[in-house]
Amino acid sequence: MIEFMDVTFVHQNGVRALDGVSLRVEAGEVVALVGENGAGKTTLVKHVTGLLKPASGSVLVDGVDTRKASTAQLSRKVGVAFQNPDHQLFSETVEEEMSFALRNFGYSPELVQNRVSWGLELFGLEEYRKSSPLVLSGGEKKRLTLACILAWDPQMVILDEPTVGQDSIQKEKLAGTIQMLMSTGKTIVVVSHDIEFLWPMQPRVVVMKGGKVVGDGPARELMQDRELLDSARVAQPQLVEFYQLLERRPRAPFVHPLDAGRWVEEGIRP
Amino acid sequence: MMWLSGGFIFRRGESFYHRLDPRTKLLNSALMFVTTLLARSVFEMALVIGFMVGLSAAATVLKRVARTMAFTGLFSGFIFVVNIVFTRNLDTSLLYAIRFIAIVVSTSLFFITTSPDELEQVMKMFRLPRDVVFAFVTAVRFIPVMMLDTMQIMDAQKSRGLELEKGNLVRRVRNMIPILIPLVVNSVVRSGELAEAMESRAYGAVPRPTSLLVYRARGTDIGAACAAVALFALVSYSFYFVIPVHFP
Amino acid sequence: MGDILEVEGLSFRYPEAPRNAVSGFDLAIPEGEIVVLAGPSGCGKSTLLRTVNGLIPHMYGGEYSGDVRVAGSSVKDSNMRDLAQSVGFLFQNPENQIFMFSVERDVAFGLENLGVPRSDMRARVDEALRLLKIGDLAQRAPHELSDGQKQRVALAGVLAMRPKLVILDEPTSLLDPKTASELVALVARLRRELGTTFVVVEHRLDLLVEVADRLVVMDGGKKVLEGTPRDVLFGEEAEAHGVAVPAITRVQKMLAGKVGVSADRLLAPSELAAAVEGRGA
Repeated sequence: MIEFMDVTFVHQNGVRALDGVSLRVEAGEVVALVGENGAGKTTLVKHVTGLLKPASGSVLVDGVDTRKASTAQLSRKVGVAFQNPDHQLFSETVEEEMSFALRNFGYSPELVQNRVSWGLELFGLEEYRKSSPLVLSGGEKKRLTLACILAWDPQMVILDEPTVGQDSIQKEKLAGTIQMLMSTGKTIVVVSHDIEFLWPMQPRVVVMKGGKVVGDGPARELMQDRELLDSARVAQPQLVEFYQLLERRPRAPFVHPLDAGRWVEEGIRP
Repeated sequence: MMWLSGGFIFRRGESFYHRLDPRTKLLNSALMFVTTLLARSVFEMALVIGFMVGLSAAATVLKRVARTMAFTGLFSGFIFVVNIVFTRNLDTSLLYAIRFIAIVVSTSLFFITTSPDELEQVMKMFRLPRDVVFAFVTAVRFIPVMMLDTMQIMDAQKSRGLELEKGNLVRRVRNMIPILIPLVVNSVVRSGELAEAMESRAYGAVPRPTSLLVYRARGTDIGAACAAVALFALVSYSFYFVIPVHFP
Repeated sequence: MGDILEVEGLSFRYPEAPRNAVSGFDLAIPEGEIVVLAGPSGCGKSTLLRTVNGLIPHMYGGEYSGDVRVAGSSVKDSNMRDLAQSVGFLFQNPENQIFMFSVERDVAFGLENLGVPRSDMRARVDEALRLLKIGDLAQRAPHELSDGQKQRVALAGVLAMRPKLVILDEPTSLLDPKTASELVALVARLRRELGTTFVVVEHRLDLLVEVADRLVVMDGGKKVLEGTPRDVLFGEEAEAHGVAVPAITRVQKMLAGKVGVSADRLLAPSELAAAVEGRGA
C-alpha cells in the first residue's frame, strides 16, 4: 500500500513539483498515472522509494514513513523500472546484471541463481544469459530491466513510460507481462502518455497537472471527462471518443475494437 | 565543487556588464588580474577590490561574488598565517592574503558574466582551431545534461539496492562502478549522435564559417575599459615611481 | 521528374555485420508528400534514413550497392555540404542536436557552417523562428527549454537550411500526446506553406494517418508494404509486420461496407460515429 498525505515538494530552482498531493494506492490495484511532461509524475514516483523526500506532508509505503527508511529498504517492496534502460545496464553479462540487485539485497547465491533463471525464462532472454546487456535490442533491454526488478519479487511495481520507443509487437509483449503481474495480485503503477496502451487494462487513472492530482477514478469514467482531459493535456482513447459520439450506446465505453464493432453491428442497426 | 560552480559558471543576466563585448570583459578582468599583481600596498589592493566589487554590483552578481570571496577567504586565511609565520610582517601577509582573493574575483567576474557563446567568440579571436573551440563549447553545453544523466543513473541504481555510502573506502569506490559505466556508455552514445547531427548540419563544410553574432565596441565598452585602464595606470605608476613605504 | 527522392535497388551492409541492414530497396517519393515509414524495431528504418542524407556512405563505411537520388543527384556522388542543404534530418533526441548556448545561435549553426553571409543569415534565422513560432525563445539556453520546445528548436535549425526534403526520426517518442499532435499539425502546415517533402518514422500511427499521403512498411531490411495509409492499414499484413493499427481503424475495418461505413478512406472517431449514426461520412 502506498499513501501520500498532503505531500509538497519544491525543486532547488523553486519549481513546486508536488503541491498538496494526497493519494492512496491499495494493494493489488492497477493505477495509470497520466499528465503532460512536467506535471509531476516522475517526482511523485521518486517519492515512493525515498529518492526524494517530501518538503511537507508524508509518504507511507506499507505503513513505513519514507523519511525513516533508506531507498534500498523501500525498493525491496517497490520495484521501479525507469524509462531509459541505458541508465542502469552496466554488467558484463545479462546474468550478472540480473543478480546485481539480488546480491545487494543479500540473497543467498543459490537463491540468486534460481531467481535469475526464472526471470530469464519468463522474459525470453535465456539465450542472452552470457551476452553483454549492451548488445541487446531496445525492446530486449526494456524486458531485461523489468526482469531485474521482478527477480526480487517486490509487492509493488512502478513502470515509468514503459512503451517509449517500443514497436507494437514489443508493446503487446509488455501488455502481456503487465497482465501476468495483475493476475499475481501485484500493485502496479504505470506512468505513461500512451493512452491507447493503458486503455485496455482499464486501470484506475490518476491525472496530474502542475504538481496536483486533478482527477482520480476508474478509466471508464475518467476518460469520458473531456474537460478534465483537455485541461490536463491528456489524450482521450479513440474508442471512448467514438463511444461518446454515439446517440444510443451501451452503459460503459468499449474496451476493445472488437466490442465496438460487434455492438454497432448487433445493436445499433437491425 | 559548490564554490566552483557558484563562482565560475555563467548564468544569464541583463545588466550592462553582461551586455558588454566579451573582449571588453576579458580586457577588464585581465587588467584587474595584472593590477593586483602590481599593487604593493593594502590601500592599492583595496582600491582594486573596491573597483571589482563595484563592477559586480553593477553586473548584479554581487551576491555570487561575495560568496566566492567568502570561500576564497578560507584559503587566503591560510596564506596569511603562513606568511605571518615566515615573514613576521603584517602588511605583507595581509597583502598576499588579499591579493589571492582579488585574483580569484577578477577571473570569476569574467566567467560568470560571459556566456559560453561569447567565450567561443573570444577563443576564435585568439585564432584557436575551429575544432578545439567547438569541442569546448559542446563540453560546456553538455555539463547540465551529464549532471542530469548522472542523477538518473544514481536513482536507477539506488532503486536496485545500491547503497553508495555503505562500507569501507574500497567498497565505496567499487560502488561507483554501476554509476560510472552507464555514464560512460551514455556519453559515447551521445557523442555518436552529436557527430551525426553535426554532419547533417554541414559542420566543417567551409574552412571559415561565419557567425550570427557580431560584436562592436559601444560607449559602455569604452567607458568600462577606460575605468579599468585608469586604475591599472594608477597602480603601475605607483609601482614604478613611488617608493614603496612598507615593502620589505 | 517530380520525384524528390528515388531509391533504386539499394542494399547496405555495415562492416562485419552478418546480413544486410537494407536490401534491394526501391522507393520513389513525389515532391511535397508526407510519407510515413513504419516497421518493427531493427527493421532497417534508421539505416535507410541515413542513406538519404548521406551519413551512409559518407560517414559510415560498409557494403553499398544501388543508388539513392535526391532531387535527381546521386547521394553517393554528392558531398555532405550539398546534402546538408537539400536534406534536413531531425533526430530522435532533440537534446543531442542542439549545440549552441542560445536558441538563435543554434538555429544559425548550419548556416554558419556553410559560411552564409551574416546579413542573409539573420533573415533566415528569423524566418525559421517565425515559422515554428519560437521567436520568444531566441535567447533561451537549451536547458531552459521543455522537450517540445527543444524539438521545435532543432526543427528550426533544420529548416533554416531550406531543405527540400526533411527526415523526422521518431519525432514524437519523447513528447506527451498533445505536444505530439501539435508537432504533427506543424508538419502538415509546413508542407502546405513551404511545399517541403517529409519522411517520418513513427510508431504512433494514430497521430499521423490523417496527414500522411503514403505509408511504407519495412521488415527485415526490405520494403514489404506501400500505399496510402488506408490501403496499408486495411490490408491483412500490416499487423504481422509490427504496424500498430489504430483502434478506430480496427473498428472501421470490421464495419466497412456495412451500416453505411465507407471503406474508401480512413475515418476519424467522429467521422465513424457520424457514419454509424447514418449522418453520412
